[in-house]
Amino acid sequence: MMNPTIELNGLEVQLGGRTILHGLTGVLKSRAIGLLGPNGAGKSTLINTLLGFHSPSKGSARVLGIDSHANGKALRSLVGYMPENDAFISKMSGVHFVRYMAEISGLPHNQALERAHEAFVYVGLGEARYRPVGTYSLGMKQLAKLAQAIAHGPKVLILDEPTNGMDPPARKRLIELIREIREASDICLLLSSHLLRDVEETCDEVLILRNGQIASICNLVEERRANRKFLELETIGAEATFTSTLEGLGCECAVFSNGRIKIVMPDSVEIREVFKVAADRGVQIRRMNHRRDSLEDIFLNAMEQTGAADGRI
Amino acid sequence: MAVYKRRYNPYVGSLTPEWSRFFVLTRYAFADLFKSRFFVLLLILSLIPILFFAGYIFIANNKTVQLFMQIRSGDLFSVETKYFIVIMTVQTHAAFLLNCWVGPVLIAGDLTNGALPLFLSRPFSRADYVLGKLAVLGLLLSAVTWVPGLLLFSLQAGLARNGWIWSHLWMIVPMVLCCAIWILMLSFLSLAVSAWVKLRIVATGAIFILFYAPAGIGEMFNAIMGTFWGRLLNFSDMFGLILAKGFREQTGAFGQLYQNEVPVPAAWGVLILLCLLSLVILDVRLRARETVRG
Repeated sequence: MMNPTIELNGLEVQLGGRTILHGLTGVLKSRAIGLLGPNGAGKSTLINTLLGFHSPSKGSARVLGIDSHANGKALRSLVGYMPENDAFISKMSGVHFVRYMAEISGLPHNQALERAHEAFVYVGLGEARYRPVGTYSLGMKQLAKLAQAIAHGPKVLILDEPTNGMDPPARKRLIELIREIREASDICLLLSSHLLRDVEETCDEVLILRNGQIASICNLVEERRANRKFLELETIGAEATFTSTLEGLGCECAVFSNGRIKIVMPDSVEIREVFKVAADRGVQIRRMNHRRDSLEDIFLNAMEQTGAADGRI
Repeated sequence: MAVYKRRYNPYVGSLTPEWSRFFVLTRYAFADLFKSRFFVLLLILSLIPILFFAGYIFIANNKTVQLFMQIRSGDLFSVETKYFIVIMTVQTHAAFLLNCWVGPVLIAGDLTNGALPLFLSRPFSRADYVLGKLAVLGLLLSAVTWVPGLLLFSLQAGLARNGWIWSHLWMIVPMVLCCAIWILMLSFLSLAVSAWVKLRIVATGAIFILFYAPAGIGEMFNAIMGTFWGRLLNFSDMFGLILAKGFREQTGAFGQLYQNEVPVPAAWGVLILLCLLSLVILDVRLRARETVRG
């Protein structure tokens, strides 16, 4: 059986005498996980704990079944990390810097040089690879950080606010790259961002943190699938026979005032069958909406919830 | 991820042994150092005294050259323990100057732009990191202290013959041990300063101050209290004491008298304590993430 990507068992982390993460418990099984939360929610602390930079005061965190504290070195041998803040050696040329990092990850120097060139061209900095990293623009530095994170071919890619400081085209390109990396290999992705769109475009599952507690764990794939089967109708002339016919097809219906009907369709029922029933019963459908429970809705709901005080879902 | 395909591929090749990866830091640091002409000049200057010492040994053991140069044997002091104390003293002070130039940039360069998390997010511990940086200074300072010391010892042994080597073989131990503690102390001290101060000029100044200011304080303490224990703060003097006693002499290279004063174990203790203090500073500073208390 495959290990979950991330497994948190009552994880508590204290820094400087303050508890930052309060007994997080949850299992995330998807290959691409988004980490969301407002500033100070504990996203970076969680990432740092997964990397073994902080020790848990209670509980444990596992990545691909490896305990981040007890087997930190083994875990870090699988990880490529792109930190949020500036992290480079300014006087080194880009390719030299990435080669250096790849060698520290264990690549022999010739392979490290080859992979450094490949990574630089791959992230779109091929022309700038011989320039000192210190002379790069903010967006280029982000790409250089991504290059060093992927050059050694990690199994887990941890990206902390990867699109920070990037203009919209550069952001779009970076998101495409992240999606490509995810699709092209069996790499697991953990992306922390306060930009919901970044997470929505790249991840299958989100972990939402609030005040160091888990506010929600949401599987976006299932959510998207469920959204497709949830309809809101505004009708004229809908009688009880309309809903009873739909229920006969396996739908669940809830009727509200002014002809508003909410329908949850089973997988076997397509929308055109709803139109067909409406036509047969002489019902006018004046408006039809798929319920689009966007990540923003999920995030805002999670922020409003009060029941997550114990850090559990 | 081949360049022409622009596609991501995971790495499937072989990996280097984990224990050897600290040396990547050392290799890159040396490559960087040798780009500096000033460093190369300083290294050459540090090795020039060795040529003079070697020449002296050659002359001291060669009657023909002595006759040719019209030198009487009595004008030269013999190549014995005292001579090796002089060699070690000169070379360890050259090592100090070399260390003041090289040490301050070793860690500061990585800390300036927050590169440390990149090292520590790999299968690479803080101990590996310190070991990698320490190896730079260790190899460099060894190359100007005990390694040429042993070469000069071999030269003397080869030229003197008559069993000189067997009666002086014990000198290898103090030569290597004394240099080892000196190199360790200098290396840890400059790494600790490098982890704290980012500007080279300030860091170099800080090393000088940390090294010589306590000696002044120690002398004041001695003068006020009428004691000799203040000498414990004179690290250079403590090294001189260890060196002289290690070579079974009562005086240092330049005639300093080491008699009935600070015990040798106390001198060792001070130098080891300095190493430990530096390690504590490194432990505090070399963190992937800083924690703000409160």
